[in-house]
Amino acid sequence: MATLLPQIKDKVTDEMDGIQLEIMWSNLISIVSEQAKALQRIAFSPIVREAGDLATALFDSEARMVAQSITGTPGHINSLGAAAKNLIAVFPPEKLYPGDVLITNDPWLSAGHFFDITVLTPIFRENRIIGYCGSTIHHTDIGGYGVGAGARDIHEEGLWIPVLKLYERGKPNDTLHQIIRRNVRTPDAIFGDLAAQVSSGRMGGERLNAMCDRYHLTDIHELSENIIDRSESATRDAIRELPAGTFHGKTSFDVPGGEVITLKTAVIIDTDLGEITIDFAGSSGASTSGINVVMAYTHAYSTFAIRSILNPDLANNAGSLAPIKVMAQKGCIINAEYPSPVNARHVVGMYVPFPILKALAQIVPDRVLAEGSGAVWTIQIQGRDNTGRPFTSSMFNYSGGMGARASKSGLSATCYPTGVAAVPVEVLEASIPIEFTCKELLPNTGGKGRHNGGDGQRIGFRMRTGKEWLLNAIPSRLKTQAEGLQGGQPGASGAFLINGEPSLEARKRLMDANDEVLMMTPGGGGLGRPE
Amino acid sequence: MITYALAIDIGGTFTDAVLICSDGRSWTDKALTTPRDLLEGFFHAADLALDRAGIGLDQVDDVVVHATTVVTNVLIERKGVPTGLIVTEGFRDVLYIRDEHRYDMFDPQIEYPEPLITRDVTWGLNERTYADGTIGIETNADAVHAIAKELKSKEVSSVAVCLLNSYCNPENERKVRQLLNEVAPDVFISLSSDVAPQMREYLRASTTAINAYTVPITRPYLNALSERLKKSGVAQEPLIMLSNGGVVGARVAGTYPVRMIESGPAAGALAAGYIARKFGIDNLLSFDMGGTTAKACLIQNGQPLVVGMFEVDRQYLFKPGSGMPVTVPSIDMIEIGAGGGSIARVDALGLLKVGPDSAGSDPGPACYGRGGLNPCVTDADVVLGILDPLNFLGGDMALDLNNAQRAVQDLADKLGVSLMEAAFGIFSVVGESMAAAARAHATDRGVNYRGLPLLAFGGAGPAHACYVAERLDSAQVIYPPMASVLSAFGTLVTPVRLDLVRGGLCRLTDVDWNIVDSIIEDMLNEGKEALLEAGLPADSVAYSFGADMRYFGQQNEVTISLNADPRTARDLQELRSRFEEDYEALYGVRLDDIDVEIVSWRVTAHGGATGREATIMLADKPGKPKSSRKVYFEHEFADVPVYDRTALAPEQQIEGPVIVEERETTTFILPNWNLTVRPDGNLVATNQRQGDR
Repeated sequence: MATLLPQIKDKVTDEMDGIQLEIMWSNLISIVSEQAKALQRIAFSPIVREAGDLATALFDSEARMVAQSITGTPGHINSLGAAAKNLIAVFPPEKLYPGDVLITNDPWLSAGHFFDITVLTPIFRENRIIGYCGSTIHHTDIGGYGVGAGARDIHEEGLWIPVLKLYERGKPNDTLHQIIRRNVRTPDAIFGDLAAQVSSGRMGGERLNAMCDRYHLTDIHELSENIIDRSESATRDAIRELPAGTFHGKTSFDVPGGEVITLKTAVIIDTDLGEITIDFAGSSGASTSGINVVMAYTHAYSTFAIRSILNPDLANNAGSLAPIKVMAQKGCIINAEYPSPVNARHVVGMYVPFPILKALAQIVPDRVLAEGSGAVWTIQIQGRDNTGRPFTSSMFNYSGGMGARASKSGLSATCYPTGVAAVPVEVLEASIPIEFTCKELLPNTGGKGRHNGGDGQRIGFRMRTGKEWLLNAIPSRLKTQAEGLQGGQPGASGAFLINGEPSLEARKRLMDANDEVLMMTPGGGGLGRPE
Repeated sequence: MITYALAIDIGGTFTDAVLICSDGRSWTDKALTTPRDLLEGFFHAADLALDRAGIGLDQVDDVVVHATTVVTNVLIERKGVPTGLIVTEGFRDVLYIRDEHRYDMFDPQIEYPEPLITRDVTWGLNERTYADGTIGIETNADAVHAIAKELKSKEVSSVAVCLLNSYCNPENERKVRQLLNEVAPDVFISLSSDVAPQMREYLRASTTAINAYTVPITRPYLNALSERLKKSGVAQEPLIMLSNGGVVGARVAGTYPVRMIESGPAAGALAAGYIARKFGIDNLLSFDMGGTTAKACLIQNGQPLVVGMFEVDRQYLFKPGSGMPVTVPSIDMIEIGAGGGSIARVDALGLLKVGPDSAGSDPGPACYGRGGLNPCVTDADVVLGILDPLNFLGGDMALDLNNAQRAVQDLADKLGVSLMEAAFGIFSVVGESMAAAARAHATDRGVNYRGLPLLAFGGAGPAHACYVAERLDSAQVIYPPMASVLSAFGTLVTPVRLDLVRGGLCRLTDVDWNIVDSIIEDMLNEGKEALLEAGLPADSVAYSFGADMRYFGQQNEVTISLNADPRTARDLQELRSRFEEDYEALYGVRLDDIDVEIVSWRVTAHGGATGREATIMLADKPGKPKSSRKVYFEHEFADVPVYDRTALAPEQQIEGPVIVEERETTTFILPNWNLTVRPDGNLVATNQRQGDR
């Protein structure tokens, strides 16, 4: 009787059959998904544990992403995919030892703002690096300005951690630990979450080694080649089924402060190569407020838009992302340069998919969706409670309506492109002295159509401290509307009211003890003419 | 004096009956489930088993225990009556807004279940409780009376009440109940502070809505059951199996039907726990594979684990997140879409995928010959020779080998491999996906799955378990007798039990033992009352204690079991170290600088072991194979001997590969595994290569 283990052939160039590959590929995906689940469970950062704002991924020895967790947000996932290479460029394999853990929150090298810390752990097998385990999570605080778009340059936004070793051969890097501890407002939570990232990286490495044991692999090189090759050619094949040509899309939306941003795309489909190039030429220039987007984040949301329409079933990895190229002129709002502030980059970043969808609507009208409400509205509150103890809430967020889909209405109070959840009212009320006055749908705010856009919602709150407090809110689409598609009507724009008065403030504002906030998030666009 | 105990498990397709006599004899049978009137199938199956024993229902003088899908059916088929919802004013859409999460980030086409309770029968009430338990606005009598009148005019007969922060102070909700009762005494009322007293408004509202929606069907059903049993001369109130593995009287069960949703699978897990204890094995993994899904459940220290949340009625491709969340204690199981009817296909990348789509029972796998054309797991089993097409259900249902081959050949052509390789591919992919799920399940709970024994049951479990065991490096696979009615059996070996949990949010450093005292006392009383009602003598009620704890600043808790009533020692340091031990085992870290807080206290009230056993008739002397057949496995054919299970004798040993057939299932033992027949009727396969791996 032959061995009971699948036969792994020797030569790298050999193609695995569809049975072997399926088995080991699903093994890799289960490793990263478990990591993500564990991270989410033990996180201190409410946006991670309640909203799932995190990503984990597994890389091969060349730092190419082979598997990623199914949870997460596009901004994290796809920028984590590129981050590993950036970290390895600073610490190449010959400078890495068992027990080392790399860290950075460099916006240009990882996920676009300081709050997102990326941790990368090399995986050793018999003294050789066979891959890397990475995670990015949104931490509760990083010092500096805090949540919001009000900083005037990147340095006001908080602590900048270059690519460094957080652990060296298993020992914590004390200098770095002390610097972080002194520069954040919630050091216990940050270190709790970093510890979780480090332990999840270690567990990921153990799991990968166990899998190699199980299938008698010395490394995952051949497996990774197979996964990436197949994913890449499947993506190219899917692109080849589209009509060749250049298709244009444009979206405009207003951001905190009232500025109107325009994103323009040319989506160029090359059916010979099986490639899509997205060119943002003609988009708005850099903003003076912290809503600028680094290229990695623009790339993340652009590739996401294509992948979610083209082949959402295919696993995300270096291969499935390779045939999608993204370009934008240097220094524009979606290819920000140092020292532009970038803290609230999601406000613009989450609109990046819409012009792309509009371009795709011309060629695959049955797969796209109409424009949605856009970015989730994020809020952070700081103040002192009744006893005078200072508090800083984590960032929390609420969605407007999603755009209508070709065969069904858009989901209400649910965001596309991001997938983050809202923090429950009761969780927030238990963690800071806040009282919510309402959280209800706004009927008929979704644009009418053959299929209606999703409705927005109204959320009201006040504080129970009897003291002044600081509000950092990042609404968008207060003047513009989510456009309808194929004759559908636009969704209603949103409203941000303080004591009943509209507010367009982009910066952190000082609030009176009894001030009340009412937010009405926008509706999504309708699709098709209303009947 | 001998006594008889009866168990009935109503599943989707079959209603199983197990009758056990105190002298060790047992009888089992199955009848088709009767969806229109489930009790018809209940009594029919009971009669079949009773007839075999030659006794009447009135001679069942020990317990009657019942597991049922009645609640699940009401939910999935949306057969409930008009149900209303009362929430804090300003939060009427809690069931529509959910948690705003898109459970599949990449797929823009996802869907969610329609809320059980619609907007037009949802009322906002101007009241307010804060997160610290203080009340800002009390429940107003006129407002509730007005709602009660509207309930009547809209013919709403059941109502869920879910007010903000009621998990930490139920006063306003209780006031609502009292006021509603004054005007509309016939309306069923489900309070979120009773049903699921835990933080997070959407989860609590979803759970309470499910309860309210199913009460008006479940309670009459259980009442009718009690009545009919009483008329038939059964003195005791029937006991009902709950999702958490507990058993309570029909009245308590009828008040909280949301706790019964997973009663059948929970009973299976309990049987697994029972067998683990009998074998003296601390940890094992139960593997229950049926027609559409497979479930794995980890047994630790002889007990299945219990978790606080699960999902029902998944709407979209079985994806997690696409169902309705339920936050009541439930046996911790992982379920994947991989059963005998799961369909195999080749995806766009040329990969072989199996499930989650299922051919069900109609048309079923190609080999059923009912028009199914898709290759299914059962088809692969027939093509490989693992299943004998002429011996399916004891020969009552012949399978069509040609159809199976044709279906698998199509797949083989797409994969570019031979027929037999494709069939073996299906067999191995489904085995691997079960193993992957089991690994995730175990790892997630901080348990090393390597070497864990497996317990195989369900119609398809025994054919696939040995292969799954290989993938998990298991040393042993146990094949229990009564594998096809194991859940019903599980209800009989389960002590009466009720799990209770109450919120008690507090940092360890600030614990006020007076408050803890009243919280725990409350639970002790509720537990005792329920158990006495279930017929347990007062002196045999026992309690165990636990707590949900976390680091201050986290939001997910770890449930810690305590050795004794925490009020006795009042040892906070001990509580902290118990938490940290478990936390470190689960997540590999310990955070010394950070405060620990209690989220909830737990009490389990339970009776002692039931002492019920079932012995199995075995042959007197070692049986010989009745035949042999060619089975294709790992790229080659082998001649495999086939035994009847009833022909095996105690202590008989057989080397793998071997097939053991019984009426409802077929056991397939791989090469390099040895099979031993235990005197109690269990078959145990042992991996012979453990040493050299």
